[in-house]
Amino acid sequence: MECPSKASLALTGLAVAFLALAMAFHLEIWGRYEPPPALPRVDPSFTNTSTVRTSLAELKRTGGDTSEFACNACHEVGDHARKLRLDEKGSVILPDAHSELVMRHGRSNRNDNCFNCHDEANREMLRTRDGRMLKLEESTMLCASCHGPTYRDWESGIHGRTSGFWKRDLGPIVRKDCADCHDPHAPAFPSVKTAPGPHGLHQKQEKGKFHG
Amino acid sequence: MDRRSFLRTSAVVAAGIAAIAAGLAPLRDLKNFESVEEFLQKHYKELTPEEMKQALERISREVERQYGLRPHVRDLKPMDGVEFAYALNLTRCIGCRKCVHACVAENNQSRNPEIQYIRVLKMPNGTLDMEKGDHNYATESVPEKGFFYMPVQCHQCHNPPCVKVCPVEATWQESDGITVIDYDWCIGCRYCEAACPYWARRFNFTEPSIPRDQVNPNMAYLGNRPRHQGVMEKCHFCIQRTREGKYPACLEVCPTGARKFGNVLDPNSEISQILKNKRVFVLKEEVGTLPRFFYYFDV
Ligand code: HEC
Ligand code: HEC
Ligand code: HEC
Ligand code: HEC
Repeated sequence: MECPSKASLALTGLAVAFLALAMAFHLEIWGRYEPPPALPRVDPSFTNTSTVRTSLAELKRTGGDTSEFACNACHEVGDHARKLRLDEKGSVILPDAHSELVMRHGRSNRNDNCFNCHDEANREMLRTRDGRMLKLEESTMLCASCHGPTYRDWESGIHGRTSGFWKRDLGPIVRKDCADCHDPHAPAFPSVKTAPGPHGLHQKQEKGKFHG
Repeated sequence: MDRRSFLRTSAVVAAGIAAIAAGLAPLRDLKNFESVEEFLQKHYKELTPEEMKQALERISREVERQYGLRPHVRDLKPMDGVEFAYALNLTRCIGCRKCVHACVAENNQSRNPEIQYIRVLKMPNGTLDMEKGDHNYATESVPEKGFFYMPVQCHQCHNPPCVKVCPVEATWQESDGITVIDYDWCIGCRYCEAACPYWARRFNFTEPSIPRDQVNPNMAYLGNRPRHQGVMEKCHFCIQRTREGKYPACLEVCPTGARKFGNVLDPNSEISQILKNKRVFVLKEEVGTLPRFFYYFDV
């Protein structure tokens, strides 16, 4: 038997190596690609376009329940308001019938006098400081009477939200009213629920939280 | 050649062939190679109207097969006299992440693994250093005291580094300022991802998955049509909406009104008003990308 040539030795070695590799692939010793674990679906409330509250104007537009705003079911038109009761710090004491209201307008709650905004004779109307009468759903003009610069920004679309068409000749726009985002009695923007954060490819779930 | 060496050589050759065949085993998992048409299709800019019609028809067929619904796929062109820009009011943003999820839903991003175009960074007050931002914050409610929130997405730069590095011109800037990707031309090299200083580009490491009932059928070729494994994607200012005159989805969903979008060539648009009257700035100005995405603080 002649000596095997160097070349065929090398070839045999290669073949063995390849076969080993093939076996390894076949047996998937490095593991199969596992699809990532199922992720929970995102709550649809995080993709709807609603704002944090619904103003009377919006309720009327969408045909919602406006019974809360039927003031004259209890109040009489022309019935001049009693003097508001004030506590020792000068803040308005809420009448029991309206104890669910939260009054916190401005950093020092300066704007808590009901009749800064509501009309004294007809509770279903608003009244600006300069005496203009507005319907309850026209509250944006009431806010404008005290927040001029913000209203100017709102009018040009900078403050608040304008939805619909940036190209105005292709379709209509909707501009959210102040009261769709600010509670007139406590206008600071509320805190909201956080939508889920990102789940990276290689992040592990740990106690309901994801870590990078 | 004697008999023995013949046998030996043929054994080696046979083993080699078997080994190579088995070595190619991982290719068994290669899917989505059915579409020869897609493979042979020309670059977006070279498609004739007739070829574009065929491409849109093919995409509709593929979507219908994969998701069981007939989409409305169009090739929307930039409008004349329009250049888009975006402005984000950091004083308003509360970090609720609704924009992230509205974007995913609108743009048919993969739900699992997750692909999201918008990253919301929670930043400690007093810095604009993106390295200090945390995007995994998981507090029950926002905003948190002492922080502000900075959403980051594609800045649609005037001088986009991602476009320059693409070896196959699969990504380019259109006349309305949107940097787009031809998903059929992208080879998945991820150079653009590395070149982007804003971390705005996303790669499909696996075949994307979208539940059938969550597919948005209103699609554009350069926009939100479903992608395949191995291609890049990123924010495109919702081409399928904005080139029809609508606002992008992230703006429509923002509960605070922090997001503003429009045509800078129209002096009366809100975006022009903001650029004129507010002190806007861009991220990483020093890298010279000239973003069309502006931030500002406002009191
Ligand atoms: C369920 C009956 C009821 C409804 C509806 C109602 N109120 Fe009243 N409201 C009362 C009562 C009772 C008082 C307390 C009066 C008192 O102290 O004598 C009161 C007090 C007030 C006061 C304090 C000053 C005052 O007049 O005594 C204001 C302001 C007021 N209401 C405004 C409104 C407005 C605005 C609405 C509609 C949006 C409204 N109310 C709807 C029952 C009601
Ligand atoms: C800053 C202006 C302002 C002040 C001050 C104010 N209100 Fe109002 N109030 C409004 C506006 C505007 C609405 C309509 C809100 C809407 O569209 O949702 C309203 C609505 C109401 C309602 C109806 C439903 C609700 O719960 O919001 C009641 C009741 C009410 N006000 C009572 C009062 C009372 C009582 C006071 C004084 C303690 C008071 N308001 C002070 C502006 C004001
Ligand atoms: C009678 C004048 C007046 C009217 C009407 C008025 N505001 Fe105010 N508002 C104030 C004052 C005063 C402050 C306090 C400013 C400060 O603290 O520096 C204030 C503060 C605010 C703030 C700052 C938030 C906070 O609590 O610090 C918001 C938001 C606001 N108002 C929204 C509104 C909205 C929305 C309306 C319309 C429903 C409205 N305001 C109507 C006088 C008014
Ligand atoms: C789309 C929602 C939205 C609408 C609509 C809106 N605001 Fe605001 N507004 C905000 C947010 C968010 C803030 C930031 C508040 C905060 O940090 O507490 C704010 C802040 C304010 C402040 C405080 C000062 C400031 O600029 O930070 C005032 C005053 C105010 N708004 C008035 C108004 C008035 C008046 C209108 C209507 C003409 C209006 N807003 C409409 C969302 C809105």
